[in-house]
Amino acid sequence: MEGRKIYNRIAILRKEKSITRKELADKIGVNFQTIGYLEREEYNPSLDLAFRISDLFKLPVDLIFSTEPLTPLSQLLTK
Amino acid sequence: MEMKKSISKRRIGVIFTLISLCSIVLTYEYYKIEQRDSTFIAIEIISIIIFIVSFMLTFINTGLWKFIHKPLKNLDEREIALTSKSLRYAYAIFTVVTLMLLLYFAVTFTPLDVVLVAALILFAHLLPASIIAWTEKVI
Repeated sequence: MEGRKIYNRIAILRKEKSITRKELADKIGVNFQTIGYLEREEYNPSLDLAFRISDLFKLPVDLIFSTEPLTPLSQLLTK
Repeated sequence: MEMKKSISKRRIGVIFTLISLCSIVLTYEYYKIEQRDSTFIAIEIISIIIFIVSFMLTFINTGLWKFIHKPLKNLDEREIALTSKSLRYAYAIFTVVTLMLLLYFAVTFTPLDVVLVAALILFAHLLPASIIAWTEKVI
């Protein structure tokens, strides 16, 4: 069964924190290539991995992941 | 995994590897049954060289071979999903191919020989990596 596409803000949050894919991968316990897949939205993470990512960025899961295309955080803040 | 090759190059590599493996077996069978000609020996040697070169370029240099033989505890969730999918397809393909071959050998009363069995063992090991090489767009 093909699941729904999950959109995310991992790439922007990682750049904001100035960490490499390798560093992020080490922190959440995955291969660095998996970070590439997540950032390109070609892989939907498990709930466990989504929570590990949200813990790392200290943001709620629904702010990082969505089933709808995400609007930039700057636009959300100006609303 | 360190797979930097484009999908088209990887697919060509997989085709060359599998065709050369078939060629090794078929040439050996013809050489054994039909005629003991030096042309067959030359074809056999060329097939072996093509197999080794394409295997090295497609599976060893890309890290695919190492990846598919990694223990489960060293894989993350995406890699586990990827290997599971490739093993599922590989199992289906290998079962059908092997059973068809066994059926053919049983019907024709032809004895199985060591080259074919060795090629099948190699084929079983190559299939999961071949499926990843064939299906994964960017790695």
